[in-house]
Amino acid sequence: MALKTVNRVLDDIDVGYWELKSNDDLYWSKAFLSSLGYSHKKANVSLNFFIDNLIHKGDCSLFKNNFFAFLKNGTDFRQSMLIKSKKGKYKEFVCTTNSRVFDKKNEKSKFIFFYKRKFKTNKELKKDKFYYKETAEMAQTGSWFIDFVKQKSYWDQQTRRILEYPEDYIPSLKDSTKYYPADHSKFARHTFLECAFKGKSFNVEIKMLTKNGREFWVKALGKPVFNDKKEIIGVRGVFQDIDAAKSKELSLQRTSNIIASQNKRLFNFAHIVSHNLRSHSSNLTLITELINSFDSVEEKLDLLGNIGDIAKSLNETIEHLNEVVTIQTSTSKSKTLVSFESILNQVTTSISQIIAKENTTINTDFSNLKEIDYIPAYLESIMLNLITNAIKYKHPERNPVISMRSFKENSKPVLEISDNGIGIDLEKFGSKIFGMYKTFHYNKDAVGIGLFITKNQVESLNGQISVESEVNKGTTFKIVF
Amino acid sequence: MFVKLACIIDDDRIYVNLVKKIIETKKLCHNLLIFNDGKQSIDYFETSLANLNHKDIPEIIFLDLNMPVMDGWEFLDRFTKIRDKFSKKISLYVVSSSINPTDINRAKSSPNVHDYLIKPVNIKELEEIFSRKNNNTIS
Repeated sequence: MALKTVNRVLDDIDVGYWELKSNDDLYWSKAFLSSLGYSHKKANVSLNFFIDNLIHKGDCSLFKNNFFAFLKNGTDFRQSMLIKSKKGKYKEFVCTTNSRVFDKKNEKSKFIFFYKRKFKTNKELKKDKFYYKETAEMAQTGSWFIDFVKQKSYWDQQTRRILEYPEDYIPSLKDSTKYYPADHSKFARHTFLECAFKGKSFNVEIKMLTKNGREFWVKALGKPVFNDKKEIIGVRGVFQDIDAAKSKELSLQRTSNIIASQNKRLFNFAHIVSHNLRSHSSNLTLITELINSFDSVEEKLDLLGNIGDIAKSLNETIEHLNEVVTIQTSTSKSKTLVSFESILNQVTTSISQIIAKENTTINTDFSNLKEIDYIPAYLESIMLNLITNAIKYKHPERNPVISMRSFKENSKPVLEISDNGIGIDLEKFGSKIFGMYKTFHYNKDAVGIGLFITKNQVESLNGQISVESEVNKGTTFKIVF
Repeated sequence: MFVKLACIIDDDRIYVNLVKKIIETKKLCHNLLIFNDGKQSIDYFETSLANLNHKDIPEIIFLDLNMPVMDGWEFLDRFTKIRDKFSKKISLYVVSSSINPTDINRAKSSPNVHDYLIKPVNIKELEEIFSRKNNNTIS
């Protein structure tokens, strides 16, 4: 009988079947039962027992529908299901029918085949591919592979889409410098070569460049591909567009830097306040004690004049502190486009007498950068402070010559002011030059507030001021706005 | 009155005047040297040393920290180098309005600093410093 042959074949290849002889009578194949762990002889599994106990609940109703449609109308079906083994574990089977397989002598007999799931069906592979593509698209993730043996590069479509290349673009290792902006290509090459030659997998954040020239941040992961001999035959990787998150991170970092610098200035300010006010209050305490210690009214009255002096210097200190506070609070003042030339004119007009008296020459070169976006009052105050400083600390043997030039450096506006004055020993005073009430020369005008204010103004707008100087030659201040 | 010569190095002229007044009225010493910054005073000490003029060296020095041109720290460095060359015993007090512990510890750790006084100093404190000096001189 053909069935016996079939049975023998099926026993060998681990596929089970039912034979349905009539609507109520079913026959379980040996192979099917033993794959579930039941012995052939003892088993007497009814259809109801099968449906109620052996099929996983999630698969049950679909199976019932399929099964009865098959019985009634001979509609073939194919479904995967979990079936409980004797040990109570569920195993995955594919259950399928084929109405063309029948016993010719008894046409009523029908077969249902069960086999263990081993390979994905074509349909499921397609489904997987669909999910993979969806995931890649939603996560903005491209993947690539470089085959060293065939000397070819492969990109998936998502990679082409992210990098804005056409769908038929053929990538090449030779073109890899095009995929990164200039300032990141060295890092990209290094990371890739470390992986390609030393087998180091990588997980880095790097900027990439699209075909249209847009720069954006990606998270790039890659690992070497080995052959059987453990030789590296390629590099495989994925990258994700993280530009939005990275931009937020960078802007957060910037904000945090600003806050840190503001905090530092506030701390500094608090320190200055406590120190500078203390010296006045201690003088007041001392004078009170002294007044009390004297018996004669004349001596007491004599000391009253000193109180006036203390009050005067206390006032001066508070005025200075006020100036500093104004800087801290006025950073919200609006910036406008201001021209270096016109601000300089205002400054030189306001101090024209001093300039003339000291025979000061001011040379300017604002041709490389004529104007900047800045608070006009600040630029005026900065120029005024630095110019008056240069005149105040001129060299006794020569007339002051001040040179000013503006330009861009690393895309930031810069103003440089140089003089030929007495200079300052930066090794000795470098750390204090911008401090409050720090003076370094015997000069009756020296107050020690100007550079402190200038530094605070520059820094309150996130700029930097630095100084270079040589004693007896001159000083150069550089402001990066 | 045993202390012949004392010295104040401080740029706060009001403070200097007040201490001077106390020293004069309480007759704490004969003569008082006053310098407005470290540079002027170290010049004085170095010149005195060069001229072997030891009698112009003060027995007590009151040194401020925050001063223009040369501050108290630099004075201390320079002074340490020449101090042993003076035969006289010199008591140096740092007198500052700074209550910063870093300043206080730094000053106190210097072997040449007798003590750290926080401004305002009071009359009693000054009197004690001068009388202690006298006792030391006697013994």
